[in-house]
Amino acid sequence: MKSFNYIITDEIGIHARPAGLLVKEAKKYTSKIVLSANGKKAEATKLMAVMGLGVKNGQEVEIIIEGGDEDFAFEGMKLFMEQNL
Amino acid sequence: MKDKIFGVLQRVGRSFMLPIAILPVAGLLLGIGSSFTNSSTIAMYGLEGMLGEGTVLYAILTIMSAVGNVIFDNLPLIFAVGVAIGMAKKEKEVAALSAVIAYFVMHISINAMLKISGQILATGELAEGVLDGTIATACGIQSLQMGVFGGVIVGLGVAALHNKFYKIQLPNALSFFGGTRFVPIISTVVYMLMGILMYFIWPMVQNGIVALGGLVTGSGYIGTLIFGLIKRALIPFGLHHVFYMPFWQTAVGGSMEVAGRVVQGGQNIFFAQLADSANIAHFSADATRFFSGEFIFMIFGLPGAALAMYHCAKPEKKKAAGGLLLSASLACMATGITEPLEFSFLFVAPALFVVQVILAGTAYMIAHILNIAVGLTFSGGLLDLFFFGILQGNEKTSWLLIIPVGIVYFLLYYFIFKFMIKRFDLKTPGREDDDRETKLYTKADMNAGKEKTEGSAEVIKDELSELIVKGLGGKKNISDVDCCATRLRCTVKDATIVNDGLLKATGASGVVHSGNGVQVIYGPSVTVIKSNLEDYLVIAPDELAEVEDVVKDETVVVAETKKEKKVIQTIIISSPVNGMAANLSTTPDEAFAQRMMGDGAAVTPEDVIVYAPEDGEVAFIFDTKHAIGFLTDSGVSLLLHMGIDTVKLNGVGFETLVEVGQKVKKGTPLLKMDLAYLKENAPSLVSPILCTELDENQKVRLLTEGAIKAGEPLFAVDILE
Repeated sequence: MKSFNYIITDEIGIHARPAGLLVKEAKKYTSKIVLSANGKKAEATKLMAVMGLGVKNGQEVEIIIEGGDEDFAFEGMKLFMEQNL
Repeated sequence: MKDKIFGVLQRVGRSFMLPIAILPVAGLLLGIGSSFTNSSTIAMYGLEGMLGEGTVLYAILTIMSAVGNVIFDNLPLIFAVGVAIGMAKKEKEVAALSAVIAYFVMHISINAMLKISGQILATGELAEGVLDGTIATACGIQSLQMGVFGGVIVGLGVAALHNKFYKIQLPNALSFFGGTRFVPIISTVVYMLMGILMYFIWPMVQNGIVALGGLVTGSGYIGTLIFGLIKRALIPFGLHHVFYMPFWQTAVGGSMEVAGRVVQGGQNIFFAQLADSANIAHFSADATRFFSGEFIFMIFGLPGAALAMYHCAKPEKKKAAGGLLLSASLACMATGITEPLEFSFLFVAPALFVVQVILAGTAYMIAHILNIAVGLTFSGGLLDLFFFGILQGNEKTSWLLIIPVGIVYFLLYYFIFKFMIKRFDLKTPGREDDDRETKLYTKADMNAGKEKTEGSAEVIKDELSELIVKGLGGKKNISDVDCCATRLRCTVKDATIVNDGLLKATGASGVVHSGNGVQVIYGPSVTVIKSNLEDYLVIAPDELAEVEDVVKDETVVVAETKKEKKVIQTIIISSPVNGMAANLSTTPDEAFAQRMMGDGAAVTPEDVIVYAPEDGEVAFIFDTKHAIGFLTDSGVSLLLHMGIDTVKLNGVGFETLVEVGQKVKKGTPLLKMDLAYLKENAPSLVSPILCTELDENQKVRLLTEGAIKAGEPLFAVDILE
């Protein structure tokens, strides 16, 4: 299992569009990816759940990755977060 | 590394074959046409009645010579296009067009530079002091004489640009200019700069050649040898004319008193002596040393090289290689046009060209030493040998000596070429690796490239192509792929096994059928999709072909059963608002239109209240109130996203009427909108209503388009077996 924390810099937080992108990214990997924020958890592949977290600008999200390609997913997700959120 | 250079050289060589194939024909036309229309030849043998100006034969021969000539005059352009076609990996026609453009751009840039610097006057004439032969016209553009080399620079460069950029993706606003359409654009820019650069570089090359001329006149046999070596070495650059013309036509090549007047230049001296032959015991070999040796290697030597190449060709390719080599040899022997033969090995095996230069260079010297004095009008072929050697008699020309020397040369060429080709496995015509191996090479290449960009864009693209192929019913089913501005146009063998749903899942906004034609609408980025698809189709067969062959019938059956998969349940989703319903792909926001967020429909609200579309639960409401997550009791996760970019309004214009987690009945008001404000402040009111979580066996089917009332069926979610 690998995990990292990321503070959202996108002005509008994890919104419909970024959430869509995030889910798309997360679906590329076989590992189970979970987002944790505001005391809630959401599977990164479930758009509804990700949007339901209601993560805003400046909030910290923990991304937890577990599975066969977790190293690869870890790098991929990290890059994605830095570039898009 | 060595293999890689070899692979590239081989491709370069193969790409030369197309333009080279025309040369023998052009050579024969030009050689025959110009030999028999040469006024000194005609006058010499009293053929005015048959071949003189005004006769039908003269007209025909003049046309033949003109046709041959136009091909040689434009050889650089022919090579530019031919090489670009040969070297481009895909979409070769685009590379060809780009090469033509780049060729014109480069030469007109040089032309402009020459005009700016005053070397070409406003009248179009050359300024004084400009060296003869350094400026010539290229397709009507006065430019630096660069010969075939200029064409090759264009061909190789454009192909490199093409291979790098033909799949480029530009920002959406510019996407029309992306993909292959970008290639002519970048070629134009690059070759404008290349032209300017050449203006500075090329004259240095030319000056070097002129300086070499001084060396030759230096002295005797060694001078002849140097002349021969340099002239042959310059052939690929097209600069041999710049080099030898002074020797043939000016005092550089010597002067001599003939029949009471001073004649300058080797060729002029010969013809002056020819006209005065009654008073000449033997023609001057000092004058003919600049060309008499050509008969030796053009009639005897190079055909020996051709025979060696033919014997070294692979058995299955002998026929094709033989055709090329035989016609090239005939052109060389009959008319003395050597380019077809020389170019057939020059680029694939430069080492052989070095051999040719040395052997041919010494031939000039040997002819000089042996006092062979056979003149020529054009080049050292049988036609000229006949008129200016045989007919003049052995006493005056020593032409008979050409035969024994020629036979020695034939054997030298034959055995040296054969030895080198076998020893170094040179890829002369008929020895190229098989197409299949080349394909494997490409594939390995691609895989290597893929590994480098691991996991990123490349893989997704391939997945996309794979899906498209699947959607079109498999590679076997696709007979043709093309595209226009926004649509992928395919011709399939069986339109019934095309899976529209799968195609739409690849990001298509629509699929149109007409007979066996299938158009998949992707938008302006389609050229990139098409290129990737073509790439994929090339590598696909190796993995699929066998399987397909064996289970061909089965695949059809599978595809059919897939199509017949029964819908076991259908969930209807109603519109949450009064307004106009439309296909989701019409949403003026790419993320939604391309179904990145999920599939559903777009509704443009005309009323202020957003109602619960079905019985269910309010899963979440964004703080900015513009979008609501809704979970229906039937288990569908919906996103009601009111307007485009409304997130930026920070909640202004929206008023929530329910709480998160609240259970509601269909028709319960959820949200109130200030339509006037939204119209004013949001880019669009179009509201995507979509399912965010769809399983693979769930398909969205739009039920209505146009006016719709809240609570009326909007789309259906079909759950398949």
